Amino acid sequence: MNQMRVVCQNWLDVVVEPASRVVSSVIIKVFQHPVNMVGALVVCCILPAAVLAKDDFAAFDRSMATFDPGGKYLTKPVERTVPGLSLNGTITHWSDYLVHDDEDIGFRDRDYRGLQMQTLVEVAASYRFSPNLELTSINHFMYDSVYDVDGGDGLYAKRVDDSYYKYNTFDRIARELYVSYRTSKLDVVLGKQQIAWGKMDGQFIDIINSMDFRESVQLEAADYEVRRLPMWMANLTYYFDDVSVNVLWIPDFEANVNPAYGSPWQSPLLPPGDESARNSNALLNNRSDAAGDRVLQTKRPDWTHLSDHQIAARLDIASGALTWGLVYYYAWERDASPFVTGRFTDGSGDHLIITPEHERLHHFGVTSDYAWVAKGVPLIGTLPVVLRAEALYTKDANFIDYRNLAAVRAGGSGNGISEHDTLRAALAFEFAFPSKVSVIFQPSFYYTFDWHEGLGVGYGGAIGDEWNFAPVFFISRPVQRTRDRLMLSATITPYMSGSNRDYQGTKTKLMASYEISPFVNGSLIYTDYHGGNDDDLYGQFHQYDNIGVELQYEF
Amino acid sequence: MNFNCSLIFMRALSACAVFSLLSVSGLASGDTENSGRQSWRTLDQLTPWERERIDLRPNTPRDKKVPYLPAEPYPFTAPYTAEEMGFRAMNFTHAARWSHVMADAFGTITKEGYLTQGVTVAMVDEMDAPNAASQIAKKPGEAYSRHMYYYTYPPKDDGVQEMWVLRRTGLESPAKLDYFAYTPSLRRVRRQPPPRRETPFPGVAQSFDDILGLEAWEFDWRLMGADTLHETVRFPTNRKTITLAEPNGRFYDVATDSIKLMRERYPFYTKDGGVNCFVVVGTPKQDWLPDFKVSKVIYWLDQYYFYPLRIERFDEEGKLKMIEVRIAQQENKALPNGEGFASNLVVYYDAELDLMSYSLHDAHLMQEWTEEDLAAFTPDFMRRRWLKYPQQSQSMVNSPEEYYLRPALLAERFPSERSMTVSPTIAARIAAQNKAGHLVFGTVEK
Repeated sequence: MNQMRVVCQNWLDVVVEPASRVVSSVIIKVFQHPVNMVGALVVCCILPAAVLAKDDFAAFDRSMATFDPGGKYLTKPVERTVPGLSLNGTITHWSDYLVHDDEDIGFRDRDYRGLQMQTLVEVAASYRFSPNLELTSINHFMYDSVYDVDGGDGLYAKRVDDSYYKYNTFDRIARELYVSYRTSKLDVVLGKQQIAWGKMDGQFIDIINSMDFRESVQLEAADYEVRRLPMWMANLTYYFDDVSVNVLWIPDFEANVNPAYGSPWQSPLLPPGDESARNSNALLNNRSDAAGDRVLQTKRPDWTHLSDHQIAARLDIASGALTWGLVYYYAWERDASPFVTGRFTDGSGDHLIITPEHERLHHFGVTSDYAWVAKGVPLIGTLPVVLRAEALYTKDANFIDYRNLAAVRAGGSGNGISEHDTLRAALAFEFAFPSKVSVIFQPSFYYTFDWHEGLGVGYGGAIGDEWNFAPVFFISRPVQRTRDRLMLSATITPYMSGSNRDYQGTKTKLMASYEISPFVNGSLIYTDYHGGNDDDLYGQFHQYDNIGVELQYEF
Repeated sequence: MNFNCSLIFMRALSACAVFSLLSVSGLASGDTENSGRQSWRTLDQLTPWERERIDLRPNTPRDKKVPYLPAEPYPFTAPYTAEEMGFRAMNFTHAARWSHVMADAFGTITKEGYLTQGVTVAMVDEMDAPNAASQIAKKPGEAYSRHMYYYTYPPKDDGVQEMWVLRRTGLESPAKLDYFAYTPSLRRVRRQPPPRRETPFPGVAQSFDDILGLEAWEFDWRLMGADTLHETVRFPTNRKTITLAEPNGRFYDVATDSIKLMRERYPFYTKDGGVNCFVVVGTPKQDWLPDFKVSKVIYWLDQYYFYPLRIERFDEEGKLKMIEVRIAQQENKALPNGEGFASNLVVYYDAELDLMSYSLHDAHLMQEWTEEDLAAFTPDFMRRRWLKYPQQSQSMVNSPEEYYLRPALLAERFPSERSMTVSPTIAARIAAQNKAGHLVFGTVEK
């Protein structure tokens, strides 16, 4: 708690005094460990401003405001030539660099500094056959040059799966492809698509699609759009006056993508060490695990079996200042559970035979929001407020039961898996303070029913404990002197836990976004992992503080 | 047959009324302009016709049930008090107060010339009768209008949507709207906190109150005098034409120097093309708006329909904060007493930041929503990402140099009531623009 207080105190300094200790420490960290991209930023942004006369810079700024070659030479001419066609493109580059020295951490051979140098090109086209019928295609082309440029031995994930490095399959490139038919009261959308349910930051009832979790704890709500894994489905919605009913029929299935061996965000807690992992094809191809057990082919749902299809339904109701909804999802677990299905003995001793299998889950969710204006708030007067609430109850989620697994390994009975119901829920209070200061306070809660020592991780449950509590605090403010083009924000996520662990560390994200032009945006992001023990959720990443740059051009 | 006769009789009566008004207004304008006097008139300088049209009593009878409303039924009859003029001005909010669809082209320019522009398609459902009468008659907290906005430009905003549910305020119901937003990158419809009313939208000059309009009962009203306006929105000399759109999507060019303050259908122009206005000031009532960051709002209301052609907002210290100037157009011919006029082009000028925004309402299409259509006016509709009415606009500004001029300060008018001082730098920029006929960027000599 003391550490949290220090972080909060530091953060408060950021708000009230620009030259705060936090910012100073970030600057010191950055400049003590020169990073190429920061240097490039200085060259690109600060030096021209200093070198160019004020009027010249303003002239440059004016010309940037109308600089849109993609729109001028590609999308607009194509749209003029083909009536009914709408074309959009986005080029995004993300670079994240560790501010710590190269060093081995836990099982990881962390001899790299780059966490990602990803360039993603999105080309979206939609053709309107009639006012009611439309075909949409969204395509992704991605290349992460960190695997080529950084050269660290610890980065070898492309041997596990090429999609960490580049998208070169139809499945990855053709991200969304669907036909939509709309009438005033009915929507029918057929094809490959992603669905985002819920209203919160974070995923509570946003459960339809699996996720690409390659960024692990650094995955942000803003990334979900490009990290959800779309599926082929039928999506029907009927709209009554203030009520809508949405039904999904999903023959397709996608498993989560997690940080693999040799990827920058692979957990330092996961054995074996990189030295042996990168030389074990069986391990990299998921035919073996760190204990030398044999891993069989994963049993996946089969779309040719009707009984393997997933079904979801959602009801939404708007009633004045209150909106609320209910959801249900008959789904497959995204991560296969490693069931023990046998044993064998070889020269190194007794081992288990593991059969990973996706299991059925029932999800029940609720979502709601309510708005009001508080009057007579001291120093502020009126204060507009929104309250959002969301919860998901999951029945029979599978957890690895390490206590049972140890017993099985010693010759006892069992399959190493334990079923538990889970609950995850959050409340979010959003406040609109004067001077365009926006504040969100979102206490989030995760609970595993019938929890006991030795349980691993399961869908929707607490991590490493019976319950987790994460009171997320977010604040943002535009800088008026820049005509709101510069936006500063901070997000603080302390992660508390019980009844076993107390505190699993805090993640702090400081961000400065600048509208370079109406078409180009740039962001500088610093992410800090602080506190907790080395085996805690954030504690394991306390040597992963990093600075990131994001550039985006949309045309 | 009877109906036709009645119609002819009504038309004749209307024609007589318009003719008599025109005659009187001609006299009125002649009184002020031909005599070579200043265009603005204090209360003791009003023309006889203007004096007949106004009621200067400080206390007028109140409504028995709702004491903050005048006893006389809306829309009132002449003579009008300043308060009644404030109520009449509620008809003319930024968006027309009847069900319609339009393309709203908007933009903002900084003093350095950094220009951002966008287009949003608005669908408006005026839930009961058109205009302010139904809002006034509602109970506090009740919804009276629903707006859906679908942004189509620039590309980064394509698909962003908003839904506003406008609510009548009351002393215990200060929330003016329910506000929902859909962001394509999040694919979520989220309720947003009701905006702070006098705080501008991010990156632009105008606030939510500038868009939604003020509710007259939250202010004390006083008549300052009268004035004749000859220009509001000013086009630069290097922008000879503007492309506008008809409701059916057909584009047409208009010479910018031919655009009058209330376009062609306004019958009461003075001989030299001006519009006679009453000038009223509204000061916020402390019990209604205890922490409002505005000390007063001054309106130039045309003397016949009470259309606000110019609005000035002053900060808590009485310094000029915002000038809003408008060009209006009659979009709804079915409504009587000029109630069918609506904003066509509005320029908002933040005199403190030297920041200027515009909003041009294009391709205005009147609508009578069917039961099925009304399904579109729910927050969840935004998840469908369905642009039902692809109204377009080609009215955007081509370059920073062709942007609208800063509005005239009119500093000499009502000097005891209006503190129109701006910083020397801004004054120099205004002088430079007036000399060049278009905005001038870069260093300007003070």
